[in-house]
Amino acid sequence: MEGRILDHPILNFTRKKRVKIFFEGNEIEAYEGETVAVALHAAGIKVLRYTPINGRPAGLFCAVGKCSSCLMEIDGMPNVRSCMTKVKAGMQIRRQHEKGELV
Amino acid sequence: MMKHASVVVIGGGIVGSAIAFNLLRMGTKNVCVIEKSYVSSGSTGRCAGGIRQQWSSPMNVKLAMRSVKLFEEFEKDVGMDIEYYQGGYLLLAYTDSEVDDFEKNVRMQKSQGLDVEILTPNQIKEKFPFINVEGIKLGSWCQSDGHANPQLANIAYAIAIRKMGGEFLAHTTVTGIDVQNGQITGVQTDNGYINTEIVVDAAGFESPKIGSMIGVDIPVHGERHQILVTEAVNHFLDPLVINFNHNYYVRQTHHGSLMMGQGDANPASGEDLGNTIEFLEEMSEKMIKDFPLLKNIHIIRQWSGAYDMSPDAQPIIDESKDISRFIYATGFSGHGFMLAPAVGESVAEMIIHGRTITTDVSNLKMDRFTIGIEREHNVV
Amino acid sequence: MKEYDAVVIGGGPAGMAAAEVLGDQVKTLILDENDMLGGQLVKQTHKFFGDHAHYASTRGFEIANKFIDKIEKKPVDILTSSTVIGIYPQNTVAYVKDGHEDQVKYKKLIIATGAMERQLPFINSDLPGVYGAGAVQTLMNQYGIFPGKRFLIIGSGNIGLILAYQLAQTGVEVRAIVEALDKIGGYEVHANKAKRLGIPIFLKHTIIKAIGDESVQGAVIAEVDDKFNVIAGTEKEIVADTICISVGLMPITELAEQAKCKIVYIPELGGYVPVHDERMRTTNPDVFVAGDLSSIEEATTAMIEGKLAAMQIVEDVKKTDLEKEISNEIKTLAIFRSGPKSLKIRSGLEKMGIVTPQIEVPKFSPLPNSENGKLHAIIECTEEIPCNSCELACKFDAIKVGENINTPPVFDPLKCTGCAVCVTACPGLAIFMEKLDESPNATLGIPYEFLPLPKSNEKMWGMDRDGNYVCDLTVKRVVKNSNKTHIVYVELPKEFVDVVRHVTYPQKESPFVCRCEEITVDQIEKVIDSGITDFEEIKRITRVTMGPCGGKNCKMITLGIISRKTGIPIFKLSHGTSRPPVKPVEFSAFLRGDKK
Repeated sequence: MEGRILDHPILNFTRKKRVKIFFEGNEIEAYEGETVAVALHAAGIKVLRYTPINGRPAGLFCAVGKCSSCLMEIDGMPNVRSCMTKVKAGMQIRRQHEKGELV
Repeated sequence: MMKHASVVVIGGGIVGSAIAFNLLRMGTKNVCVIEKSYVSSGSTGRCAGGIRQQWSSPMNVKLAMRSVKLFEEFEKDVGMDIEYYQGGYLLLAYTDSEVDDFEKNVRMQKSQGLDVEILTPNQIKEKFPFINVEGIKLGSWCQSDGHANPQLANIAYAIAIRKMGGEFLAHTTVTGIDVQNGQITGVQTDNGYINTEIVVDAAGFESPKIGSMIGVDIPVHGERHQILVTEAVNHFLDPLVINFNHNYYVRQTHHGSLMMGQGDANPASGEDLGNTIEFLEEMSEKMIKDFPLLKNIHIIRQWSGAYDMSPDAQPIIDESKDISRFIYATGFSGHGFMLAPAVGESVAEMIIHGRTITTDVSNLKMDRFTIGIEREHNVV
Repeated sequence: MKEYDAVVIGGGPAGMAAAEVLGDQVKTLILDENDMLGGQLVKQTHKFFGDHAHYASTRGFEIANKFIDKIEKKPVDILTSSTVIGIYPQNTVAYVKDGHEDQVKYKKLIIATGAMERQLPFINSDLPGVYGAGAVQTLMNQYGIFPGKRFLIIGSGNIGLILAYQLAQTGVEVRAIVEALDKIGGYEVHANKAKRLGIPIFLKHTIIKAIGDESVQGAVIAEVDDKFNVIAGTEKEIVADTICISVGLMPITELAEQAKCKIVYIPELGGYVPVHDERMRTTNPDVFVAGDLSSIEEATTAMIEGKLAAMQIVEDVKKTDLEKEISNEIKTLAIFRSGPKSLKIRSGLEKMGIVTPQIEVPKFSPLPNSENGKLHAIIECTEEIPCNSCELACKFDAIKVGENINTPPVFDPLKCTGCAVCVTACPGLAIFMEKLDESPNATLGIPYEFLPLPKSNEKMWGMDRDGNYVCDLTVKRVVKNSNKTHIVYVELPKEFVDVVRHVTYPQKESPFVCRCEEITVDQIEKVIDSGITDFEEIKRITRVTMGPCGGKNCKMITLGIISRKTGIPIFKLSHGTSRPPVKPVEFSAFLRGDKK
């Protein structure tokens, strides 16, 4: 299942303001307060990068900034921990295939 | 542990390993290296791995050039790929006196046959568009300079030494050296005793401690240098860049991470291998100014290592005239790794033949400190 | 409108064989809807069985090329990319080419349009990723595209078995072959080729459903009883992204029906088939059928049937006497069909009134193998299938099959010179080379059609007939062959020379320990095995724990591996030094206020 939980027997999920972010140029639904990895996951995007040596798909692992599995290029900055970065309007998110690109 | 060694090398860093390796290769049997911790635990495993030939005295340039020749054959000779990359070295001059120095050095280096040239700021900008050339007056560039992985090199030597029948004893501390009638008879360690007549002191900034065991005075002290490494990024930086004026060096490793360091204003002694936050603050400011593209790159780790400093920042390679036979190769002052292969070769020749054959290192003898000191200033 | 003496619809082996005979004799047109002739041959990469006259040992697509060459030299009109849409009154064939419809008239017609795949409905059989065998072969062998990564094949007839092998050659993983009957449908040698690659064949099993959201992600198979009912509780889930249905072919009789040929239902021949006599003439005296349309069989029989129909047409039109040639072809067909594998076809044809003359397949007794230290062949082909490629290949008379090519080959080791030509010729890859003497090691030669080709001195694994690991072995030499069946000679312990029938590279999947630097358990163990047991040294060689996570996720596991391999308890191991920063931090974070 993808997407956000709308109804929950116990918890109340009121979404805050909707924010426009872009993954590989395509608009993704996101809400203020969510992290990049969370918004992508809700959109069904689980592969966040391809490992530099073996080209293997990698995504979230610890989800709390301790593992470096979720590194993505965000607004031109490489190797950003997407699970710790909150979404911002207009954010441009890309998958890295190699190591980060500086030049 | 062998009962009798023909040579005991104290210190399993790159210099001690290179000496032992060369001894074994030249046919010496029963060579033993004693290392107090794990392989590459000392200054070798902590340094940035730069390998340059751009020095200010002809003998040093020759020694460095010989070393580069040996680095080029390292994988074939020693048996491991140590990520040796001849991406060049770029030295930057910001002041008139630096400009004078550079031009003088380049003239001399060229006469030794080195492939070095002077670059104008425009040429630097063209070659490396990402460098902020503001304030640069001149650069000196040598394509055959480069860098390698010092930890792998150290471990490669250790493996080769063992393969050739030598002993490499890690986690073993030397506690004393026995001398009788001015003649070495054996080495005491916390793991046993080795009979030997020849000892090599390659113990880096602790070489004075070894020397003191037999009353030999070695004017070397440890000076802490800090270093940091960033996350890996795609390759963009070929050379190792040294900026004496702004006080830093930086290179990009085979793995893609950037390694960089500076000379601290008041360096701690070599025994203190801790870290300061000021180091990160100072490096950050400098790097962002000179390499704006590094602004958003992440620092992964900082550590430190000890330079074994000599009075003139030049290596001390000599044999004691008082105690037989005690040879020491130390005081490399931050350029031990790059000279190690040639030093290993020369010291092995000294031990076997009584003198060097391939490269003359007589300018590095101890008695120069009584003659007069001319300090190598192209150090960072 | 153009008029022809003979029109052949369908450019597969039957149609091409017919056109080759007709071309010199009468005004002939051959039409095919594909952009080149060849039919199903074009997609076949394996060597065909049969005899010399029928291209035994030649790969399917090469047969197609040879045929096309021959036909192009004859005065035959060839229309490709031309789809026949109907047979109309007054002997008219209508077809569409390049978006335009046109017609031709025929005096005599051969319909050789072949067959199509049977469907097998199961839950979610409509998901993308469920293909017929033909589709898989088109993607793979014609266009060079991986049809999928993990295959499940339904049906163990020759097509399913051949496909499994062809897929394995491209590197695709074939999870299993599923067969509803209690025995394998195709030739034993085809099945053996797949089995020794480790591909399991589940007999008495069927597929119940495919699993997946937007495309196939898996399947559920289950055991069936004698009545093909699912036995509850035997369901197994298999991970696959492609399911290939190869449960049989059935003739496409539409055009024959339009040409007023009588159609009957004979399951042994593949379903609805046009009634025909032994010269392939249907109930419409001007219309003939040949190939899979007349009965689901092989390319060899298709070629013979095409020839028969063509010869009969030449007799009809030119009034020449070809009775001798026709009897010969009928006899050849009978020999092909004399083995036990053709029992179904023979009984099916009988229902149509065609009696295949009984031809005994001679019984054989194998001669004992010798351990005389000479390199000699071992032939593992014991089924009666119509093929004599090995006899044809041997220049030293060491292999005998005889006139009835269904006879299993008899091998005389005394005559064998060890030239190994038979190994490369055998379409079933059922011949191996062996050398045994008093020494503890033996030499084994294995037919090999995979990439990468092994090299001398490489260490490989020897696998048995079920694809299980048997022993380590060393490659001695590799003999390359222009027909792409190479021979790998290996040295292995003597006791395994009868067991090993395939070689693979040692492969071991290993879990990742360090995600940042992509280091596996295997890589760390290898360093420890080489004598380096200090954590700090292991770290520097492999880079484990040196990534951005600072070893948070991998240090404990690494220490555990070291402890396990060395026997030293973890508390006695050094565990490195913690260095700041403990989380990656960018340079810009250190800039003071105004400089940011």
